Amino acid sequence: MAVKGYYGKVLDINLSSGEINTLQIPEEDIKRFIGGRGLGTKILWDKLPGPGVDPLSPENALLFMPGPFSGLPIPSSSRTCVVTKSPRTSAVNPKYEHGSTVSYSNMGGFFGPEIKFAGYDGICVTGKASKPVYIKIIDDKVEIVDATKFWGMETEEFDNALIDELGDRKFESCYIGPAAENLVPMASILNTAARAAGRGGTGCVMGSKNLKAIAIKGTQSPQLGDHKRYLNLLSKVRKSFRENNTEGVEWWRYGGTANVLTTSSKNGTQAVKNYSEGTYGEIKEIGAAANREKVWKRDFACFSCALACKKSGIAKGSYSVMVHDGPEYETGTMLGANLMISDLAGLQKLIAVADDYGVDIISIGNTIGFLMEAYEKGIIDSKYLGNIELTWGNVDAALQMIHKICNREDIGDLACRGVKYMAQELGQDTNKFAIHVKGHELAAWNVPVHSDYWSICYATSNRGACHMNGGNTSGQNQAALRDSLAACNFASGWYRNEISYANFLSAITGLEWTDEDVDRAGARIFTLEKMFNYREGFTRDDDTIPPKFFENKFTFGDHKGAIVDKKAFYTNLTNYYKERGWDIKTSRPQNETLVDLDLSFTIERT
Amino acid sequence: MRNSKKYSRRHFLQDMAFGGGGLILLGTFGFRIIQDKENRIIKAISVDFSKCAGCRTCETACSAYNNPIEINGERVNSLGNPHYSNIKVYHFNPDVDVPVTCALCEDPPCINACPIAPDLITGRKAIYRDENMTIKNDTERCIGCTQCAQACENLRGGVIHPNPETHKPERMCTLCDGNPQCVENCPFGALSYIEMPANRSYENLAPERIAQQLIEQLYNIKV
Repeated sequence: MAVKGYYGKVLDINLSSGEINTLQIPEEDIKRFIGGRGLGTKILWDKLPGPGVDPLSPENALLFMPGPFSGLPIPSSSRTCVVTKSPRTSAVNPKYEHGSTVSYSNMGGFFGPEIKFAGYDGICVTGKASKPVYIKIIDDKVEIVDATKFWGMETEEFDNALIDELGDRKFESCYIGPAAENLVPMASILNTAARAAGRGGTGCVMGSKNLKAIAIKGTQSPQLGDHKRYLNLLSKVRKSFRENNTEGVEWWRYGGTANVLTTSSKNGTQAVKNYSEGTYGEIKEIGAAANREKVWKRDFACFSCALACKKSGIAKGSYSVMVHDGPEYETGTMLGANLMISDLAGLQKLIAVADDYGVDIISIGNTIGFLMEAYEKGIIDSKYLGNIELTWGNVDAALQMIHKICNREDIGDLACRGVKYMAQELGQDTNKFAIHVKGHELAAWNVPVHSDYWSICYATSNRGACHMNGGNTSGQNQAALRDSLAACNFASGWYRNEISYANFLSAITGLEWTDEDVDRAGARIFTLEKMFNYREGFTRDDDTIPPKFFENKFTFGDHKGAIVDKKAFYTNLTNYYKERGWDIKTSRPQNETLVDLDLSFTIERT
Repeated sequence: MRNSKKYSRRHFLQDMAFGGGGLILLGTFGFRIIQDKENRIIKAISVDFSKCAGCRTCETACSAYNNPIEINGERVNSLGNPHYSNIKVYHFNPDVDVPVTCALCEDPPCINACPIAPDLITGRKAIYRDENMTIKNDTERCIGCTQCAQACENLRGGVIHPNPETHKPERMCTLCDGNPQCVENCPFGALSYIEMPANRSYENLAPERIAQQLIEQLYNIKV
């Protein structure tokens, strides 16, 4: 008997043997880990035989996890969390050759809800197909189909080609591009040619399994614990989106996250010139207003969302390109401000090409920024880069780098592994400006201004540097909870008072959840991830931020002179561990903390 | 009820204005409201394609209302799996979204195609226009020949889906007892329940053709 609101099963596909099963999920695990990121991490923990598994080996599991809100028209709750063992991260002092952290990456769209409609709480893929395949799912009819003819196809073209092949527009899908096929570690998984599970190398793991795509549709719905209570909450939350904070709704519709390109720059919190600066003088050229005027034609929403933060249009100018989504704050900063690129059409071209390859734009933008700085400092020259004059603001050069990285040509074969690896190769103190944590590159929020928040946020993130992690324990617990429910961060402000996540979860399951209960679930999920990482050999030494932030002062803008106080950071980190109930020397969660969070099963296995 | 209004000349001009008037495929200046054979005015669901963001809330609202479940003898909305919805939002790349639902056509090809002889008293074939203007199917008389679905597919929006087992037509708009739930719940105000102008044939087209027009207008791309 499954918990109400769930099917109690995950579709379990082994691509090596071709076996297709359903994995029964213990009721206890659903109650403890909820879904999405949390339940995905628990299943990953169970699937892996122990630490040190090569993330690109058939043994690694790749999980596509909706949450209990998925498929219900609860506004802005369409996220799908992809969970796997990361091909991106490594410890400062590796305990295992392939020791790496958990990876979870979250995408909007329609894919997760459709997994629920097909009658599953998730999809788990292990093994490796002998040739390229895609998985086609209609309810309990599951087929592994030859995808040889699609191998090498870019995501934009494939998005249409897959629908042509299926002959039915009602399938939802996600897929990889050439970057993942080439086993570029920073490859992403996309859906609708734009929405990406971008971070943490999930696409690379998918590529390593020879899995081009999953296409799914279904006719089912779970049974809820308290159906009428759910209907009542649904009508209230819909009303809330119509009546409360309508400026907020309009704000998202106007510019999505691109709205903050200009404000973040003004506030000194933007990644500019490989994080050397927090403010970009030309940010207006690529901000939301410029895009509204010159590029965007339409706003798009994910499943049952009123915010419509995705923008599409046509960019014209130095380049002409179809825009599926861009820029938003991350892509606009990482391929714009961080590279000192203010040519709007050029920026759109970079975003579109990166999406077409299916690569994490945060990591690739960060990596190109690192190389630009090394080039400026004379550590590398154009010959080393394969005749690319990699100067700041050079769109053509950045574009060539994207091609090289995604095809793993020349320098691209090194650069595709990210800045930690590049710095090890180059030496000469380049590690000082290699902006990563645990091997995973930082995102578009710069650290020195509000450093208490951002340094903890990046240093303690369980997938390596992550801007969505939260800069304190309660923010982190909330984020882990949201990612497990499948709720969208951007809409969280509307879920207050009666229409809280806890009340929705209570109506769905028929079990009573308080705000404290769901917060504890968030803490439990976060701590399970931590135990996963600890088991893989990650300790306090790995919870740090790049040296640049302790040494570099901003020279420009309202926050000129901003720098991170190293001593304050380490004090904050110690206090953070204390608050979490983790050992302040090793960072391992203490046994009483684990028992208290109902994670005793992790004790004997670490 | 929101978005519910009479279709006026002003609305018509607004429609003309969007995209330089290209949305009105058969548009001529001046219009006539569609009516049934007895000259009763037909109100139906109209889509403002410039507002739809493709969120598919309409699908879930339609499905939840039209496929109710029973709890302690009370009929309440189901969870609304979009598979069972009468309105469908089709996504296209380049990005446009096209909601399609039964247009309650003035000259319904589905009824014309139905081979069942009209009832001597009511004049109805198996598939017929009901008092409330919706298209309904009499499952007792219907033989599941799927002619109606094919006619709709070939000549209009392709909204009729034969039941996979009985082959009898489904997914015609019910207007939700006078308060269409798709209109009521659309977060973007893209749907309205209005009197339909006869020349506004956009509503009756297949989604692929509508998408083609929208893509050309929005992005200036031929597909």
